[in-house]
Amino acid sequence: MKFRLTALAAGLALTLGAPAAQAQQRQGFTFWYGLTGQLSDVVQEVCKRFNDSQQQYQITCTSQGDYAKALQNTIAAFRAGEQPTIVQVYDIGTADLMLSGQYVPARALMSEQGYDVDWSNYIAPIAAYYANSKGEMLSFPFNSSTAVMYWNRAEGRKVGFENPPATWEDLHKALVAMKQAGSACPMSMDFDSWALFEQFTAAHNIPVASKDNGYGGLDAEYVFDNQPLVKQHFNNLLNWYKDGLIKVRTPESGQNVIASFASGDCNVTFGSIASHQTVRLTAKEGLDWTPALLPVYAGHERYNTRVGGASLWALKGRPQTEYKGAAAFFAFLATPESEEFWSTRTGYVPVTRTGYERMKDEGFFERPENVGREVAMKSLLLREPTPLTKGLRLGNLTQFRAAYANEMQAAFAGQKSMDQALASLQEQGNQLLRRFQQTYRGKTLP
Amino acid sequence: MVERRPWLDVFTHIVLLLSAVALLVPVWLALVAATQDVAGVNSVPIHWLPGGHLADNLAEAWRRGGFATRFTTSLIVAVGVTVGKIVLAMLAAFAIVFFSWRARVLVFWAIFITLMLPLEVRIVPTYAVAANALAPFQAILDATGLTGLIETVSGIHVALQWRLLNSYPGLILPLIATATGTFLYRQFFLTIPEELVEAAKMDGAGALRFLWDVLVPLSRTTMAALATIMFVYAWNQYLWPLLVTTEPERSTVMVELSRMVPRGDGLPEWNIVMAGALLAMLPPLAVVVLMQRWFVRGLVQTEK
Amino acid sequence: MERRATFRSPLLPWLLVLPQLLIIFVFFYWPTGEAFHWAFTLEQPWGGGRQWVGWQNFQEIFGSAAYWSSVRTSLTYAFGTSALAILIALLLALFIDREVRASRGWRVALIWPYAIAAPAIGMIFRFVFDPRAGVFSTLNALWPGAWDPALNGTHAMLMLILAGAWQLVAYNFVFFLAGLQSIPRPLIEAAAMDGAGPLRRMRDIQVPLLAPTFFFLVVINLTDSFTNSFGLVDIMTAGGPARATEIMVYKIYADGFKGLDYSGAAAQSIVLMGLVILLTVIQFRFVERKMHYR
Repeated sequence: MKFRLTALAAGLALTLGAPAAQAQQRQGFTFWYGLTGQLSDVVQEVCKRFNDSQQQYQITCTSQGDYAKALQNTIAAFRAGEQPTIVQVYDIGTADLMLSGQYVPARALMSEQGYDVDWSNYIAPIAAYYANSKGEMLSFPFNSSTAVMYWNRAEGRKVGFENPPATWEDLHKALVAMKQAGSACPMSMDFDSWALFEQFTAAHNIPVASKDNGYGGLDAEYVFDNQPLVKQHFNNLLNWYKDGLIKVRTPESGQNVIASFASGDCNVTFGSIASHQTVRLTAKEGLDWTPALLPVYAGHERYNTRVGGASLWALKGRPQTEYKGAAAFFAFLATPESEEFWSTRTGYVPVTRTGYERMKDEGFFERPENVGREVAMKSLLLREPTPLTKGLRLGNLTQFRAAYANEMQAAFAGQKSMDQALASLQEQGNQLLRRFQQTYRGKTLP
Repeated sequence: MVERRPWLDVFTHIVLLLSAVALLVPVWLALVAATQDVAGVNSVPIHWLPGGHLADNLAEAWRRGGFATRFTTSLIVAVGVTVGKIVLAMLAAFAIVFFSWRARVLVFWAIFITLMLPLEVRIVPTYAVAANALAPFQAILDATGLTGLIETVSGIHVALQWRLLNSYPGLILPLIATATGTFLYRQFFLTIPEELVEAAKMDGAGALRFLWDVLVPLSRTTMAALATIMFVYAWNQYLWPLLVTTEPERSTVMVELSRMVPRGDGLPEWNIVMAGALLAMLPPLAVVVLMQRWFVRGLVQTEK
Repeated sequence: MERRATFRSPLLPWLLVLPQLLIIFVFFYWPTGEAFHWAFTLEQPWGGGRQWVGWQNFQEIFGSAAYWSSVRTSLTYAFGTSALAILIALLLALFIDREVRASRGWRVALIWPYAIAAPAIGMIFRFVFDPRAGVFSTLNALWPGAWDPALNGTHAMLMLILAGAWQLVAYNFVFFLAGLQSIPRPLIEAAAMDGAGPLRRMRDIQVPLLAPTFFFLVVINLTDSFTNSFGLVDIMTAGGPARATEIMVYKIYADGFKGLDYSGAAAQSIVLMGLVILLTVIQFRFVERKMHYR
């Protein structure tokens, strides 16, 4: 037993004897994020740029795996009193964060640290997603995106579509024509609810849930199943699938929708503008493609789509001096230079008007590698967000998305009709909302 | 060779060949993936033959992962877990099998049940323990009123604190706590003939002497198998190290590798990930190849 | 299993198990106890408060069709994976043990894939089961749609079982080989001289002598596929299509770890743990009793 104790003692010494060996005259603070791979590398570059840009603060940025792991680890750390100063939380975790109350609101943070921020500079539909009921931003949008349609221009021209179709009716015609012209996969889709369901409802200004999609309170209920257009839309997708116009492409089938598009196998697909970079860098040689606005059904007015991605939250319970650093970091991120740096190296969109203007002035969107990226900005800025296009403020959204996937799969596999699937989804969704409401009994959204 | 049966030998070779191929195909694909560029690795149909980017990808993975320092950390952790687990498991199994005491069934099950709930499911409360490993004892002291008692008697306020975050004990200790090793040793010890124990007792050898002189040499193949499995297990852990190492410079190879894996709307640079995976699997590979030499029979019967 | 010949000492056995007990107390029982406490409450993830709800979480689980489907799925997956992995590994180990020519080379060839890093497995199997590019592409070329794990629940489950078994085969192989190699050689040779053929020797000598290893692997494989397979599910199927591969531990992982429903996940954990413990006890009571440890 003796040697075990020595080992323990040695371990103890190691813990105590090795504090962070960094330059201590700088105020250090930490930032945990949920990106991996090449995106994580870009975040590290951003952090380095911040550290190099000034002498007072030292940010330490740590990738915590994917979004879910980052949130989970942060909660675990928070409950043990070891939380980071700043954390990145994905869009669907927003309601959880807001109800936790364990964050320093963006406005309070910046004004306490003496920054005079022009809040109207943040692009309205982006800011609205992360704002409280008074419209005040609580967190800082960071990696932001929205949904677009990816369109193979060359294949479109072959069947007489010079431009991407603007309506679902026209898209249907195009898909039929492509199939007749011999395409094995005119359009690919997966069972992710974001583009074909959530963003679809935004583009048509249709409610997903009552109380302005949950902004009005935790007692909201799902209502999408009562919307004729939603039913029509999903029945269309199913029929088109049966007609061979749509192929299902998921990681389980060996290829996701973006890869199916980039490889030229499928001519149309739906996804995040952030995948622009992936398509560009993995595209089959000579692929002629562009992102396009989501189609709308004929006779329906077009509305703005919602922001996706993640935002940065300053967490409570850190030493006051660290918040100085956090505020400096947020101010640094909002500079047009930082925005351009970030957007150039990723597929994400700028989040401030000045950043967007600067990129436009510099001809960013005209560069060949950025073909069609302005479509995302157009989609977001189409008009002032309505109460229904601001976002979804609904609890347990992660589980709702899983239920959506399962119900859609059941319908597409022919186990039940699309109407049954939608009804069942709404019922499950409402159970999730009631459970969330009960968990946060007595609390209200800020 | 026990006897000559040519047809059986041929059959054996065919079965082994097919199995080896089935086991190797995935690994081959990983190797091929590591030789592609980002477009090549994402193309369908996939490439079955290597491309020309292996060196670039290896260098890029080495740089991104900061592997130069991570390998040392991972090696210390993996060896620590392997040795710790073997020692702990052997001692515990020895007590469970070779002693008559009332609590032994209870103790065995107490150890065994730890297999039945994975870390992911209890991650939040486990983090609190990593932040202060002595918290449970402090809580017990507080709950039983001992803290107050000690404070009144001695004037000292007991506040136990042992922070495991970013330390080797934090990386190693929780991983040696599981029951596989104990169970394996129990299974092995149960096959030890009763006569050996009787003989040892007759010779007047104590329990520890018996453990050291008889059981340790006898359990050589078991130990080799367990060591192989444990080294690979410890080396490939990433969730716990990710949680415990909040300072990036203290992380392990697997944590860095998992950070390379693209997710969601990121660029699917699987070529870099696979190159990283190839580098990362070298040490466990070496261990597996070295340890299998110990599975050779021979010592067992000469000992008897 | 009781042994007749044992040592007696009041203190020594406790000292021997103490280190392990201390560690599992701190890192397993204490945190698990806290998590279980949540099963009877509704716990706010950020620690903002909790309310006592009694058995509500359990009632909700047992009233949900999705939950019962996950129990069935778990049983299918666990038994399918374990049986396949054990059978294949046992056969391979027996063949290797025949020591055909270049047996050491074979040993290395079959063992080394075990060292492959876990993060690689998901991507690798993405290739292997790709309906258009992988092993099944020829099948799909002959009969379009013959292999479609994205929408066919049976295919998805099959794919998952194969991947799960692939991981476990190498693991089992290591232990079987170690076990076989510790069987005294003269025993086999004597039997061969008595005219016992290879199959007979397998049945009468090798398999019975492997019984403890076999039992060990059955218990470990089953436990592991019940409790540890969410990573594979997460990468390969995410529980779909239409919940066909939503095994219990994946549901716990998805609801609790991703969905932040700590209380629901805790209640499900208790049920899962109860089920696995029950299964294990059955194995110890009824299977192990039939075995003889020499």
